Amino acid sequence: MNKKQRMFFRMVAASLVRRRSRMIVALLAIVVGATILSGLGMIYYDVPRQMSAQFRSYGANIILTPDNENGIEENTLKAAVAAFDKEQLQGYTPYRYENSKIHNMPVTLAATDFQSVLKTSPYWHITGSLPAAEGEALIGAKTAESLGLSLGDTAAAVNSFTVTDTTDISGIPDYEIVTDPETGEQYCDHELELKITGILETGGSEEDYIYIHSADMNSLLLRERGYDVVEVSVAAMQKELKGYTEAISRQVKGVSAKLVKRVTASESTVLTKLESLVLIVTLVVLALTMICVATTMTAVIAERRKEIGLRKALGALNSSIVAEFLSEGLVLGGVGGILGSVLGYYFADIVSMNVFSSGITLRPLLIPITILASVLVTGAACLIPIRSAVDVDPALVLKGE
Amino acid sequence: MFFRMIRGTFVRQWKKMLMIALTVALGASIATAMLNVMLDVGDKINEELKTYGSNITVVPQSQAVMNKLYDVEEGDAGEEYIAEEKLGELMTIFWANNITDFAPVTDTTVTLNGEEVSLSGTWFDHHLEFVKKGTTYQRDTGIINLRSWWDIHDGNWLDEQKPGSEAGAMVGAELAKKQKIAAGDTITVKGEHSTETLKVTGIFESGDEADEGIYTTLPVVQRLTDSQGLFKKAEVSAITSPEDELAIKAARNPSLLSGDEYDLWYCTAYVSSICFQIQEAIPEASAQAVRQIADSEGKILEKTQLLMSLITLMSLLGATLGISNLVTSGVMERSAELALLKAVGATNGQVTRLVLTEVLMTSAVGAAAGYFLGYAFAQIIGQTVFSSSVEMSGMVAFVVAVLIISVTLLGSLPAVRMLLRLRPSEVLHGGH
Repeated sequence: MNKKQRMFFRMVAASLVRRRSRMIVALLAIVVGATILSGLGMIYYDVPRQMSAQFRSYGANIILTPDNENGIEENTLKAAVAAFDKEQLQGYTPYRYENSKIHNMPVTLAATDFQSVLKTSPYWHITGSLPAAEGEALIGAKTAESLGLSLGDTAAAVNSFTVTDTTDISGIPDYEIVTDPETGEQYCDHELELKITGILETGGSEEDYIYIHSADMNSLLLRERGYDVVEVSVAAMQKELKGYTEAISRQVKGVSAKLVKRVTASESTVLTKLESLVLIVTLVVLALTMICVATTMTAVIAERRKEIGLRKALGALNSSIVAEFLSEGLVLGGVGGILGSVLGYYFADIVSMNVFSSGITLRPLLIPITILASVLVTGAACLIPIRSAVDVDPALVLKGE
Repeated sequence: MFFRMIRGTFVRQWKKMLMIALTVALGASIATAMLNVMLDVGDKINEELKTYGSNITVVPQSQAVMNKLYDVEEGDAGEEYIAEEKLGELMTIFWANNITDFAPVTDTTVTLNGEEVSLSGTWFDHHLEFVKKGTTYQRDTGIINLRSWWDIHDGNWLDEQKPGSEAGAMVGAELAKKQKIAAGDTITVKGEHSTETLKVTGIFESGDEADEGIYTTLPVVQRLTDSQGLFKKAEVSAITSPEDELAIKAARNPSLLSGDEYDLWYCTAYVSSICFQIQEAIPEASAQAVRQIADSEGKILEKTQLLMSLITLMSLLGATLGISNLVTSGVMERSAELALLKAVGATNGQVTRLVLTEVLMTSAVGAAAGYFLGYAFAQIIGQTVFSSSVEMSGMVAFVVAVLIISVTLLGSLPAVRMLLRLRPSEVLHGGH
């Protein structure tokens, strides 16, 4: 390192150390700018993922239906569900619908998995609680009203078997064969006692059903059958969902997967809007902040006109003055950029925790972008005032005009 | 003398003052734009969420109640209906402006080429006129906006206002595939009370069970089911406020609310209060929230608003730091000039007053310019994202004014403290 270079570094270092208060002002401005850049950037990239999870409150966005009369068997269901990314899969709930009678009124029973039902239908309003043990049921509000059932009541669901039926009715405890006096057909009733533990309100067709455990359904009907429909909730955008449905319909035999268009199409409309909202807000705020940083830098440099004049009077070249000031600015820009990326990450994380109750994903690429942007903005902001300062006659500057 | 000095500062140091004004303007414009967007984002997103379709259904009072009231034998009560003309009442309720669309739907089963299919009669883009107490209410409404997720594969939406469109129909994609029906075809459906010939205007894909059915105009289904002037249920899409404790309390039983609470609830666009008002207007109907839509709307809205407010807070923080930063450095660099003033006998109070007046005047100019710049930015955001303007709130102007004044004063504080400690001889000698 020759003498000239050493002098250069000493001057840059001295200026940063000795003019502490001014440098802190400049650094603070850069750090604020860089924090906003990296913070908003990270929020922008994370919004689609985080919001997509929020949109799952609309419930299932894919339904699986069987290709055949036997329904979707447990093994087929497992194979189909395995096609989804574990991180994206929020939950899946199978349903099997059967007709039955309560108080001689026709009702529809739906067997389901109560462990997962609220994951695919988070909007269910339940008075009471979800059925826990077998023999308990969740009843739709409309059916409850028309049957006159309320919380805690018990009712018997009845299924009639024709005796000539191939079903083995020996599974029914103390059965009694009744002959229809008109048709001469022989049948016997099988009853299932259900205790109402919850009443379901949704404002939709779910209110017409009675939800029970799969095991209860099997014992009432004396036979097992696959599911009629499986609701799946996946946190992904429409395009990806489409890929899943195609893959499942193609790869898994006995199942066809369909998008719930009402949910997926609407979600992508709204999500696109939200994304562009955050993007344009980020751009506007960033542009304004960067100009703000630039004005601050300009002001900090401009006040050093006297120093520049003095140096020129002592014989310094314009180019060496520009180089010195510029490297000062670049050092500030770099340090500010690094501090800002770290602060921005923490800020984005706080926002994400508060809004979505989950941390933000770190985008490593944003760190070099933030540092580069702050160095560029600081550099550009320094150049303008230095240029005008070095062009001035030192005598005039030193005189104070 | 005081004013002459201030004027002197602005004339001779206009560049520095301009820089401060510019930074203040930028900060103020960030604050203005973000606050306005934040306050309006709820309404905007709410409108977007209408693409999910109706959030309220109106059905006749439940059959169970009718049975109990009139002691009708089970099964003989038949289908229940509401009079079609009553729907006009929806335009007269307190929150009528929040109701974006509504349509009656009557569905029935008909035979088409030997197969039983579901047929729904509804309004597509119906022109509705309703006269009540001498006032004429009118609007175009129907399911076109309530089924925004439908893909029209072939043909077009049924245009109800075109003459001769009454016997039009739209066929679901699955059914069309099965029965090889295309737009422009004529189909004959046989119902319980009549047989109708319909012209298919379009094939739609809905992604649910509607794909296996047919949609046609309400009069067709009324003839098929012999229910002239009646409908079975109505779908209503309304812009609502997210539910809070009051709404939950009211949902249980509105009559349990205190007078003030009741008024507040009634005059807030909760889904429960809109349902309540619909029932007031159409006593024979029961209006219910579609939980899937209503609940989710509230959640999404809340999250979006929270996200925007935190982003706003971050931008405000950045803007204020930027301003106070520049104000501090702007005052400090004038230490020599101010020390000279002190040396010729100015008191601390005089110097402080001079500095603060100068800075505040500069800020005021900057803030005013910034407010209008922010207005422009808010409109750009509104137009680009939502294709509609962002409503400007008067409160924002006030908040921005207070914010800028306090930030400017706070920013000057360290500088003023330094001024008070300034010893003229040291500064002028160059020892600083």
